[in-house]
Amino acid sequence: MVTPEEIRQLALLAKLEISEEEIEPLARQMEKIIAFADTINSADVGDTGFDTINGLENVFRADEVLPSLPQEEILKNAESTADGCFVVRKRGAAR
Amino acid sequence: MISTLHQKLVEKELSCVELTNLYLEAAQRDNAALNAYVTLTPDTALAAARATDERLARGESLGLLDGIPMTLKDNISTKGIETTCSSRMLQGYRPIYDAAVWEALQAQGSVLLGKTNMDEFAMGSSSETSVFGGSKNPHSLGHVAGGSSGGAASAVAGHLAAFGLGSDTGGSIRQPASFCGIVGLKPTYGAVSRYGLIAYASSLDQIGPLTFTVEDAAAVFDAISGRDERDSTCSGAKEATLPGLKRDIRGLRIGVAKEYFEGIKGDVRTAMEKAMETYRALGAQIEEFSLPSLRYALPVYYILACAEASSNLGRYDGIRYGYKTSSSYESIHEMVCKTRSEGFGKEVKRRILLGTYVLSSGYYDAYYKKAQNLRGKIVEEMRAAFASYDILLAPTVPMTSFPLNFTGQDPVETYLTDICTVPVNIAGLPGISLPCGFDSQNLPIGLQLIGAPFAEAKLLNAAYAYEQAADMYRPAPFGVQFEGGARA
Repeated sequence: MVTPEEIRQLALLAKLEISEEEIEPLARQMEKIIAFADTINSADVGDTGFDTINGLENVFRADEVLPSLPQEEILKNAESTADGCFVVRKRGAAR
Repeated sequence: MISTLHQKLVEKELSCVELTNLYLEAAQRDNAALNAYVTLTPDTALAAARATDERLARGESLGLLDGIPMTLKDNISTKGIETTCSSRMLQGYRPIYDAAVWEALQAQGSVLLGKTNMDEFAMGSSSETSVFGGSKNPHSLGHVAGGSSGGAASAVAGHLAAFGLGSDTGGSIRQPASFCGIVGLKPTYGAVSRYGLIAYASSLDQIGPLTFTVEDAAAVFDAISGRDERDSTCSGAKEATLPGLKRDIRGLRIGVAKEYFEGIKGDVRTAMEKAMETYRALGAQIEEFSLPSLRYALPVYYILACAEASSNLGRYDGIRYGYKTSSSYESIHEMVCKTRSEGFGKEVKRRILLGTYVLSSGYYDAYYKKAQNLRGKIVEEMRAAFASYDILLAPTVPMTSFPLNFTGQDPVETYLTDICTVPVNIAGLPGISLPCGFDSQNLPIGLQLIGAPFAEAKLLNAAYAYEQAADMYRPAPFGVQFEGGARA
């Protein structure tokens, strides 16, 4: 059972705003998806874990300083910047 | 197809600028019907085409992909060219660096025609979760191109590009290739660098080609695979696939896991049986066996993919790049919530919520951890199969293309259609879809072949042999049509 209260809590954790009209249908859909996910609970599997695909190992590079992206490039896609930094305002007016 | 175009360029039947203009004009004309492209890049394309023509004029020998018009899915970063993931969240976003695969293709001289449509953040099976609307199937405009790389499949099958790159997290290259009657290769996890691929589920995502022929897929795979220090999971392909592509396949051992065929009926089943007959006639041995854990593959996939997505998509906060809310807010938390709620579509939000659910305290052990344990078991079973078989054979999708607006009504019903494609991603194996017939509505059916890790050479060799023997390609009535067809 997925309750509207759970949806509200999940939305808070996921930083999503869900309107009151959306909550009820979403709870029903989530319930159906969770029921589908629950089919794995009939599987008999030990705590084998899973930590590698195809026995892959991390590919490391030498620990050398390489050029990084220029600051002005990094800031290019931001809505607001000042003095080479991203601006994060505590409050905002409607635009 | 690629070698035909290559020949035309080398023999100066037409210049690369002329070839590129043919494709750009076709794309401008037919995109209204197919909605395959979300961005066309004529300036980039023509600059690359002119460079190819200059190399030709200087008498330089041309690589196979030099001057070939192609596309990139819109989740592959292109410096200075809008890359949206077909989401409102990234509309207007221009990456400041190129993805490794795009670097590799630029080094080869390939011509980028544009960026292709997709399900939003690659989450969907019809490309209809795109903020730009779905891509249509060139074989029937009343049907979808599939997803999530639907635009790539529609562009290639509709002759609006010679090849495209897509990404495959749970079938997103193979399924649209199957629906559109073309070839789609999902390489081994770790064979192709994902540097610059906008992440959906990092333990499953892989970039690969959508092409007309198996030979084209081999050529593109060889060009984009290889070690990359910027992707720590990328160890590179072990061997080139083109040299051994046309080997005789007599004695090839093909395993058919019966779990893949549960519920497969009608035209798709008949096409599978015919494909097996073709393989027998080619001298392959076919044996049925069982992969019992496969029945858990789909829920395992959705639990893990959504968990990873909820974490990967946490980065969209309206501060550094992408959409930012234009409503008023009283706190940073409120700004981020409004930004994400307005920027993400329904399916993306649903998957973020599901991922958050399976990772939250109290549910983590029952879902996420259990799914990881089961993933270990599926990996073990599938890898063990390659002690007895060279390749596995299965349908790509249990059905042919969906009518428009069919998906999205019931999320679980839609998820179930991914049943045959997700195991390959779970186990990190290479898989290919290739045309193996048409149903009674003349919609293409896809045959899926699966290989052992880093055994792309053997996989493509097996696919090539079938393709040549079966000859299942039919051209769709769009785009640039050459004499002799796209398969020449």
